[in-house]
Amino acid sequence: MQNTIRGRKREKELWGILFVLPTCLVLFLFVVYPIAYTGILSFCDYNFAFDKRPKFNGFNNFKAMTEDIQFVRALSNTLVFTVIMFTLFIVLALSFALLLFYKKKRSWFYRTSIFMPIVVPASLICLLFTWMLADNFGILNKFLINIGLSKYAHNWLTDAKTARWWVIIVSIWGKVGFGTILFLSGLQGISSELFEAAEIDGAVGFKKLLYIIIPNLSETFAVVGIWAVLQCLKLFVTPNVLTKGGPGNATIVLYQKIYNEAFMNYEMGYASSIAFILTALVMIFSILNLKISRREE
Amino acid sequence: MARRRRLLTSVLQSLALLFISLLFVLPIVFCIFTSFKESIEIIKEVTFFPKKWSLVNYDYVFVRGAKYLKYYTNTIIITMSSVIVTLLLSSLAGYSFAKLPFKGSNALLASILFVLAFPLAAILIPIYIMEYNLGLLNTYIGLILPNLLLILPFSIFITRGTFINLSRELEDSAEIDGCSVLQTWWKIMLPLAQNALVIVFVSGFYSVWGEYTISKSLATKDSIMPISVALTLLKSEDWNYGVLAAAITMSIIPPITIFAIFQTRLVEGMVEGAIKG
Repeated sequence: MQNTIRGRKREKELWGILFVLPTCLVLFLFVVYPIAYTGILSFCDYNFAFDKRPKFNGFNNFKAMTEDIQFVRALSNTLVFTVIMFTLFIVLALSFALLLFYKKKRSWFYRTSIFMPIVVPASLICLLFTWMLADNFGILNKFLINIGLSKYAHNWLTDAKTARWWVIIVSIWGKVGFGTILFLSGLQGISSELFEAAEIDGAVGFKKLLYIIIPNLSETFAVVGIWAVLQCLKLFVTPNVLTKGGPGNATIVLYQKIYNEAFMNYEMGYASSIAFILTALVMIFSILNLKISRREE
Repeated sequence: MARRRRLLTSVLQSLALLFISLLFVLPIVFCIFTSFKESIEIIKEVTFFPKKWSLVNYDYVFVRGAKYLKYYTNTIIITMSSVIVTLLLSSLAGYSFAKLPFKGSNALLASILFVLAFPLAAILIPIYIMEYNLGLLNTYIGLILPNLLLILPFSIFITRGTFINLSRELEDSAEIDGCSVLQTWWKIMLPLAQNALVIVFVSGFYSVWGEYTISKSLATKDSIMPISVALTLLKSEDWNYGVLAAAITMSIIPPITIFAIFQTRLVEGMVEGAIKG
């Protein structure tokens, strides 16, 4: 009897391994191996169009970065965008979620519209925005002219200053709904007794937010925080379609720089070393975010 | 007094929500309206509502624009294959992590979820080189396989969460009836995990349908491109707003439809929870 139970357990373990095997195979080929290879390539000189195989060149790629103006710009843009977008993501997603949370009845339309941009292809949304923001026949400029604000009509995407803001706005527009869902489900997880008790104690409005809601959402904050960090650092589709990193280098981000180096210049080694930096940034910000939200607990 | 104040707050709340919702909906509605306008109207008079509803743009996409239909089919093939393979792989792996633990399975699960944190940029360069050497660039398989890593980790997370909540007794009684592990999974457990499979399907569907970065890097030929990449490259050639709007409208309708169906399920779940709570 003991033997059959043990045999049964053994058999189950074997099935368990068999069940994850296909997944492991796919992830090994398309994640583990590539990450390792990127790590190696980042210390190599490898132009895919000219070189037969990668040549080890030590830290040369990383030295080259410090002299590459476009890289420095991409790095600073990525950091600036991350700070601005992260703040906007958290503030807006939480505000939208609070509005939806207190609107108990008939909130179906509002909820659906805020979530909808997530499911439509981001690149096509950007395409849509490029023509809404166009100089001559863009509907935004037309609208401004019609309401008598023609002096504010502008070629939004070719002016460095406004182009940067529109990259941020369109990125937020397309993704903030997901953060809203996360916050909303977090809010629904707070027990209603807690709210009632707080109301009896006289906590209303901003006080309630500060003392009841935020401390009870720390778990949600950690999740939304990680999600937002990833969205910000992985920013690519919006600047790629809206501005291609331009005008000049005004909206270039690390992701775009990696794409340019790897798939336009075929500098696989250099691109890998930038990807290495980006991955390091993602890890640092994610850990930082976890540390901060843990401390709040 | 208090009542009046509450009413005022509620009105202000609704107004704010209405304004926010319009910000999200109007661009999409504008795109749909534009797709029904004729070119002259689009360029000469920039208006929100179409003055004259016309199907000329859709006529172009369906009848003359063979390439648009090609992009559309590419997207359908890539999306459906990725999602179906993911359904299979994640329901297997999720079941293993939930019910068939082996040595090191927890560590494996953690490392699979860790994959989500890596930026695609760090992975795509070797994949490009590998696919080039294997002759997989610009093939469906070459685009489907990398898409799996985009949706697989999250899907495993979802299926595992559902399987782990299914009762142990079900599994035991199936065993006593002489079901093998494979039969138990297929005949007893999988039908009970339907909800998880729906979530995997819906989230996978719109992730791959709108996927841009992978296809942009690995698809260089027009004939293999999904619509999410192909349309952004049309700019210089045939930059016709009306036709473009029609093509965009056609490609945002499938994910929105699927989302709308899913959304009612979500609402039902919430209402149910509210009644029980």
